[in-house]
Amino acid sequence: MVTDDGQLYTIEGVAAGMIMLFTAYLVLGATSVYTPGDSHISDMQLEQTGTDALRMMNTPVNGTSESQLTEIVDTLPLVNGAIAPATNAFDPTNNFNILFLNYVNNKTGSDYVLNISEADNLHYTAEVTYYDRKNTTTEGLLISSNRNLTGSEHPVRVTQWVITNQPVPGDTTMTQPRAVLVEVLLWRD
Amino acid sequence: MTDEAGNLSIDFLAGFTIFMVTLIYVATLIPGLFIGLQSRSIDYDAVAYRTGVVLVEDPGMPYNPSWETLPNYSKGDILRFGLSLSKDTPNILSPEKISRFFCSTDFVYPDDYRSRAVFGDYPYQFNISFQRADENVTQSVGDVLPEDYGYSRRVVRVKEHSNATLDFSNINSGGPLAEYTQDKYQTNNATGQVFSVYFNYTYLLENGPAGNSPAYQINPLAPSGAGEIIGGEGALINLTGLNKLPQNASIVNLSSIAIYRSVSLAPLSTGQSAFNGPVMNTTDTSPFELYIDDNATPVKSLPYGVNNSVSLYIPPGVLSFVGQGDSSTLLNITMQFSTTDANGNPQPDRYLNSSLVLPDGAFDYNYANPNITQPSLHDGVVEVAVW
Repeated sequence: MVTDDGQLYTIEGVAAGMIMLFTAYLVLGATSVYTPGDSHISDMQLEQTGTDALRMMNTPVNGTSESQLTEIVDTLPLVNGAIAPATNAFDPTNNFNILFLNYVNNKTGSDYVLNISEADNLHYTAEVTYYDRKNTTTEGLLISSNRNLTGSEHPVRVTQWVITNQPVPGDTTMTQPRAVLVEVLLWRD
Repeated sequence: MTDEAGNLSIDFLAGFTIFMVTLIYVATLIPGLFIGLQSRSIDYDAVAYRTGVVLVEDPGMPYNPSWETLPNYSKGDILRFGLSLSKDTPNILSPEKISRFFCSTDFVYPDDYRSRAVFGDYPYQFNISFQRADENVTQSVGDVLPEDYGYSRRVVRVKEHSNATLDFSNINSGGPLAEYTQDKYQTNNATGQVFSVYFNYTYLLENGPAGNSPAYQINPLAPSGAGEIIGGEGALINLTGLNKLPQNASIVNLSSIAIYRSVSLAPLSTGQSAFNGPVMNTTDTSPFELYIDDNATPVKSLPYGVNNSVSLYIPPGVLSFVGQGDSSTLLNITMQFSTTDANGNPQPDRYLNSSLVLPDGAFDYNYANPNITQPSLHDGVVEVAVW
């Protein structure tokens, strides 16, 4: 005797189920296509430029001198726990600002002097991060910035390890060279 | 009675399911077919990035002898352009590689560059440019930029080779250069007037600053081309203020420049014969570039009258060539001067004489000599545009 076991009752039900599954599949699949344009490309370019700039700042000009970045970090008054205005002729904050902007804005075909009209409209905020052994915490201090982050920007992060001879807070008695991390958030208007 | 209308059999359901699964699978493959055509800007940016990395972080192929040392007739052996000094020094570029790369007589845009720097099957057009920070001259190769193109910019540094400058203008008041004249070791006039420069290749190759980094090394050998005067670093020796030297003779001539080579003993004091290499005198042409008394025209044959200054430029490759690619080379480049009276008769004098300087009887070209400007790095930028 023929029974109803193992049968679906209507073809409409099956078709509707399939359509729903197919639609759900398309919708879920489609979401990954709509990434925010080609933003990752400009991010990559910005990250490359920032990384190059920090790397070149951390490369000594000759075999006997310190790198510009090491010199800047060494002259930051980290011992006080905050960056105070420079008291000597070498102003690390201003120096970082000039050097970094110069590196990230340099282009061929220009006169190489930082020209506002030719500049790339880049903004940054730079910090140095160090390990405080006394409090076993990682602390960060602002080196320099040419604009504050408001939260709406989309910055990239570039870093460079720097070996410094300067004592850092929580570890002022240590005389050996220390590794600190210079971290720059870089974005374009 | 059971009504079977509107029911599906299990066989049909299985078949339909298999069909739908296959359809979905095929549908997912279709976008993949168009990935290559999906976004041209992504493609070009990626190619520009790749080209930038190849140029700035790679020393090129072949590496030893380096590609920029290969003569034009064998440029087919160049597999890949790369401007970096070595694989361990990304972003530090070699001036010789930059110069050869942008040489429009050696390489033709776009074919020579496309197969060695840009790569890929697609016939990309591109523009590659370089500028040093302290020079307002942009070197470039390629087409004029269109509106849209893939782009990569790299911040770099370029190595500048060492040079030696000895200014004798204050020699009468003593000073560190007195040992290169007759003043320090000998007060009498001498018949021989020589100025020798001494290169100890082993020392130079093993004792560079900053952990012997290629970026700061005085490297007379690498990248070298064996058997030909190509590749290797050059050197520049400036002697200035020569008119302030104690001088009896009416006429001072630079009569010859000779190279002495040894692999075991310091060359000058042991009296080896002149190395059979590039020697400049009345008969031999020379790969040296010699400028006397700040004259812009190089001197091509000796003897030549000297009043105030001598600039001897040893172009890249000469040190490597005369050292025969041997890192144990001890090399002496000697400038022989002749001092005569107005009638051309030899006149003993107290002019230049470096033969008594300790320990090698020569001006030591090394990392410690205060008269040598050591290799240094200069800022620059490389831009790559691809479309």
